[in-house]
Amino acid sequence: MRSSEKLLCSATTIVAILALAVLSSGGIAEAAGIKRGGTLTVARPDDPLTLDPFIPSDNGSIYAIAQVCEPLVLGDDTGKGLEPGLADSWEASADGLSYTFKLRDGVKFSNGKPVTVDDAVFSLKKVADPAASYGFAFDPVKSIDKVDDSHLRITLKTPYVTLLSAVSLFSSSVVSMADYTKDPAAFGKSPVCTGPFKVESYERGSQVVLVPNQYYWRNGEDGKPLPYLDKVILKYVPESNSRVLGLRNGDFDAIVAVPLSQAASIKQVDGMSLEVAPGYRLDYVYLNHAKKPIDDKRIRLAMNYAANRDAIMKSVYFGVGQIANSFMPQVNYWSDKVEPIPYDLDKAKALIKEAGYDGTPIKLMVDTGNAPFKQIATILQDGWTQAGLKVEIVEFDTGTSFDMTQKGNYQAYVSYITSDINDDDELATLEGDYHGSTEAFFSRYKNDQVVDLLAQARQTSDKAKRADLYGKIQDIVYHDAYSVPLNFLPYVNAYQNKVKNWHNITVGWWWLRQVWLDQ
Amino acid sequence: MTSLRYVLERLLHALPVLLGVTIFVFFAIQLVPGDPIRIMMHGRISDQEVQAIYERLGMNRPLLIQYVDFLRKAATGDLGTSIIQNAPVTTLILEKFWPSIWLLASGAVISVLLALPLASISAFYRNRWADHLIRVAGMVGFAMPPFWIGLLLILGFGLWLGWFPIAGYGQDTAGHLHHMFLPGLTIALFLAPILVQSLRTSMLDVLAADYIEVARAKGLSEWRILLKHVLRNAAIPAITVLAVNIGWLVSGAVIVEYVFSLPGMGSLLVRSVGFRDYPVIQGLSLVFAVIVIVVNLLADLSYMLVDRRVLKA
Repeated sequence: MRSSEKLLCSATTIVAILALAVLSSGGIAEAAGIKRGGTLTVARPDDPLTLDPFIPSDNGSIYAIAQVCEPLVLGDDTGKGLEPGLADSWEASADGLSYTFKLRDGVKFSNGKPVTVDDAVFSLKKVADPAASYGFAFDPVKSIDKVDDSHLRITLKTPYVTLLSAVSLFSSSVVSMADYTKDPAAFGKSPVCTGPFKVESYERGSQVVLVPNQYYWRNGEDGKPLPYLDKVILKYVPESNSRVLGLRNGDFDAIVAVPLSQAASIKQVDGMSLEVAPGYRLDYVYLNHAKKPIDDKRIRLAMNYAANRDAIMKSVYFGVGQIANSFMPQVNYWSDKVEPIPYDLDKAKALIKEAGYDGTPIKLMVDTGNAPFKQIATILQDGWTQAGLKVEIVEFDTGTSFDMTQKGNYQAYVSYITSDINDDDELATLEGDYHGSTEAFFSRYKNDQVVDLLAQARQTSDKAKRADLYGKIQDIVYHDAYSVPLNFLPYVNAYQNKVKNWHNITVGWWWLRQVWLDQ
Repeated sequence: MTSLRYVLERLLHALPVLLGVTIFVFFAIQLVPGDPIRIMMHGRISDQEVQAIYERLGMNRPLLIQYVDFLRKAATGDLGTSIIQNAPVTTLILEKFWPSIWLLASGAVISVLLALPLASISAFYRNRWADHLIRVAGMVGFAMPPFWIGLLLILGFGLWLGWFPIAGYGQDTAGHLHHMFLPGLTIALFLAPILVQSLRTSMLDVLAADYIEVARAKGLSEWRILLKHVLRNAAIPAITVLAVNIGWLVSGAVIVEYVFSLPGMGSLLVRSVGFRDYPVIQGLSLVFAVIVIVVNLLADLSYMLVDRRVLKA
């Protein structure tokens, strides 16, 4: 797509989304009825490790930073699409090898100083550093340069259609260069950025208190600057039962990550709502294709046929989610056409016999203390044993099991993967291409046809073609029995009914700038 | 002067203990698989980048040199920088220090306030129904997991009665007292039965002593004998039990910290171990060792107050 078309297209999308948002939230009447003010208290299971956008990869940090800092391109209301952020427009060169971004006029940092192209170039260079947490998303970037006082250009080594998604990462946020370079540690406690909120206090292990950034550039539906709230308290409440009790008690207005066993009962409580929002997460069993007997595709397929996913969905997930037909989460090009592998013990037995299984035991690894994953492992062990495999469950603490996975000292590992980018390329390449530093995300899976298709998809800007290519990749990798996929797990939250406009977006956080309290 | 010498002697004895703890922790955590950079990056980083980061942090030097460096800096109060949080370890620990101390103090005070009268009643009415009731109730409290007790207390005092906050640490002294009551009670319901048991046993021993007979012969009332002569002499074993348990609770109260969302050192340790954040683990171990030593010293000093003969021993 040419850049002018792309701009037109994104403008149309924004208008459509805005129209939808207004319609779905009750139309103009509610837009006029929006109430400003109040304090929103959110209890969540994570605590930020830092508020420096260039360091973290943990959700506790990321979701808080997303309220305070903004990049040039932003995720949209659902998180699946993109919309202009600190750049009000951008243009790709005809060969797809460079992108020029125009900085929005008059944007100021939360300390009142204007945002300059130098700040943006500095920030992008920080995130694109290969040693930074999200440096991998900028691998194809050759250089980042200032063009003039309102434009900057990113030049690529090869065409890379995921670039805009990478620029929309929380980690690509534009920071005040002067404040960051003066004292990065202080910046990590109280960042100077351009988001709707700024940090009033950050007590590690306890809470982050956010107050409106008076210089925020975006207006609300009532025509006045966002955000609507006077204050947001992001409380760290690691114990899931304590979060639920606190919500019932009225101590919290919203809670994140409701224990699945209690989701149904919260739905029954008057004055409260349960939110089940799609996300980019897949729970699955990692398989190490370099280890016997998993190196044999027939054994891997048998493990898939003998996996009683219905039982897992019912007893572990309480019906929340969707049985997976892919090796990766449902990012934007997920295809429902890929035929799921059914639960079929006879088929599994036949495959194991055909493979001439020699009785090599399979050690199924689980993180110590992760009760749901232990339950999953037990159900899998049961099915696999019935099919004729020897299975042993082993438990290690997360650090150790991760180390073993990464060094290839494992056979099967019950875990999960999430995507922070709203484009399929990141995870598809990470999991499907063995040339990367993780060797196909620790699977040692090798398929040159997939590598070839991935390269094509990365360089195609035509959406239909990309969908077709990712559909093919999904079909091949899934039926190569890359892993044992289990559940596309959604986000499950709950909130008091007075909380309006709360939505969990696909990349994990919530746009608190648009939340208001009906009180 | 004897008391001062006694304290100094105890402090001198503590030095090798501290050194031993640091040596053990420093080398033991290196043996555990997993490294912080790869965990933080979810493995999405090349070996060269990891090496470059370690070089920058000085973590690729020989272990002995790193250890000496750690000791040298620790002596000046600098415990290094957290790899995961990019903040000074001293700051991170100080933020969690007071919530932990408040939790321990409230747990200990409520335990003692519960244990003293209950143990006295138990000893005074030994083998009668009050004694049996206290012992059975104690056993039930001790047998219930702190996690569950905590949730029950939240449900009862927080949700139904609404008397106490159920999460957090509070802003000022009054707030801390208010917030720390339920967590303290959770600890006390586990700790008090142990104290009651040990106090009751030693009170019964003392009650059988000759000098109690003498006191009785002088015509003192049973309650007066119990409070003035028995309790004082029976306290030493209970103080020891309390000190040992507080030492354990410094890092072991993590479940209580989780249930009540308290920003304490126990949860910091658990998380740092998960991330293999070596500088924080080392720093915390040092602080825990110091706290255990100080608590034991305080226990020794309180023996002195209770019984001056300790100084002569």
